[in-house]
Amino acid sequence: MRCGNGIEARQVDELFINIDPIQAGGRLTADAMKAVVAYGDGYSVCDNCRKPNRLDYITKPPIAEFHRDVAKWLNMDAVRTVPGARRGFQAVAQTYVNKGDPVLLTSLSHYTEFLAVEEAGGIAREIPANEQKLVTPDAAAEKIEAVRKEFGRAPVLAFIDHVDYSYGNMHDVAGIAKVAHQYDIPVAYNGAYTVGILPVDGKKLGVDFVIGSGHKSMAAPAPSGILAATAEREKEVFRTTGITGDVTNRTFGIKEPEMMGCTLMGATLVGMMASFPHVKERTTRFGRELENHRIVTEALLAIEGTTCLSEYPRKHTMTRIDTRGSFDKVAETHKKRGYYLQSALEEKGITGVIPGATKVWKFNTYGTTRKQAEHVARSFLEIARENGLAVRS
Amino acid sequence: MSKRAVDMTFQAIYTLTDLRILLRETAPSHAFDADQKAQVTRLLENLERQVGSLKQEMLK
Repeated sequence: MRCGNGIEARQVDELFINIDPIQAGGRLTADAMKAVVAYGDGYSVCDNCRKPNRLDYITKPPIAEFHRDVAKWLNMDAVRTVPGARRGFQAVAQTYVNKGDPVLLTSLSHYTEFLAVEEAGGIAREIPANEQKLVTPDAAAEKIEAVRKEFGRAPVLAFIDHVDYSYGNMHDVAGIAKVAHQYDIPVAYNGAYTVGILPVDGKKLGVDFVIGSGHKSMAAPAPSGILAATAEREKEVFRTTGITGDVTNRTFGIKEPEMMGCTLMGATLVGMMASFPHVKERTTRFGRELENHRIVTEALLAIEGTTCLSEYPRKHTMTRIDTRGSFDKVAETHKKRGYYLQSALEEKGITGVIPGATKVWKFNTYGTTRKQAEHVARSFLEIARENGLAVRS
Repeated sequence: MSKRAVDMTFQAIYTLTDLRILLRETAPSHAFDADQKAQVTRLLENLERQVGSLKQEMLK
């Protein structure tokens, strides 16, 4: 079935249980789908834009209220919507980083944080993760001291991922922020895998910015996200324009340069808004998500030769698994080679594992029902047995 | 064309959206339990009513 101009109607999540590591938290709620239908036209949220003509002041639909609610929910003081978490990183980096400034990242930072630093002319310095693939406050302190020695000054900014994209491990952001603040380094919390997934309290974490991804973790269309700031930092990152045209003498009111004026103006924003009550609610029952994840992870680990490369027990539903000693052994002789696993999973109605991957791969069970989690767990065990792998009972 | 026809068009799309979500929640088997069957029945009845209203409005 096509939806126009050669575009196949996407039915992945209707036909399969989707355990793709980056898609799980961005699946739309029914309300978001309905809002997207109503607000799909370009500047649709601008029907009732009145002076001072800025997105976050619009009251119909209740965009202003949404901004206030998100700030309160994250225990921060101000929020703007952005086209993806990466644009939040960019806004923060452009505000604090000048050419040649050192910026603190980690060895598990997402590449878009590096690009944000690069674009601002900064120099990346990574806090190394330890053997358990965790970034610790001690390692942060050590790295800051190393940077001071190298540059004669502390980093001007730190980007710290609460849950990293690679292992789905949870890092001690509060501890790292405490260390960073001893050197007056503003801390930007990357919540791409947490905001909208589990409870996040910016003040409790002691961070200056909370950045979230709508399409990764807030059941919203792409590209969408949020950038939240403390009252102190709000004045800096959300500063208003001061430019004047020399011929026209034009000025641009309260538009914010880092936001390039208005940000999300249609389906992305209303999608995120419509999902918000459900997203708020679902973060309070993250334990249920972890329980479903445990069912699948334990099944995988019951297959001899399989190990979990992420921290264990799991604190997040996205996990990096090593099947070099199990499913990859089968791939060596299977007629479909490494593609047999994905093919067998799809026959059982499961998708989201990278085609051909049998060595090290990631999956995310977020949003599956208990029944679906049990089906995924059972399917992995059946595929293992069908291919002669030993399964511990 | 009436406002009612427009409302009914949206309502029918929204009813179909609720059915779509149910398909997602029950993938891949789409085997419904008793509650889900009751929900599907209710949604399909609503959809029939909405399509009926649309016929009345748009073909009169």
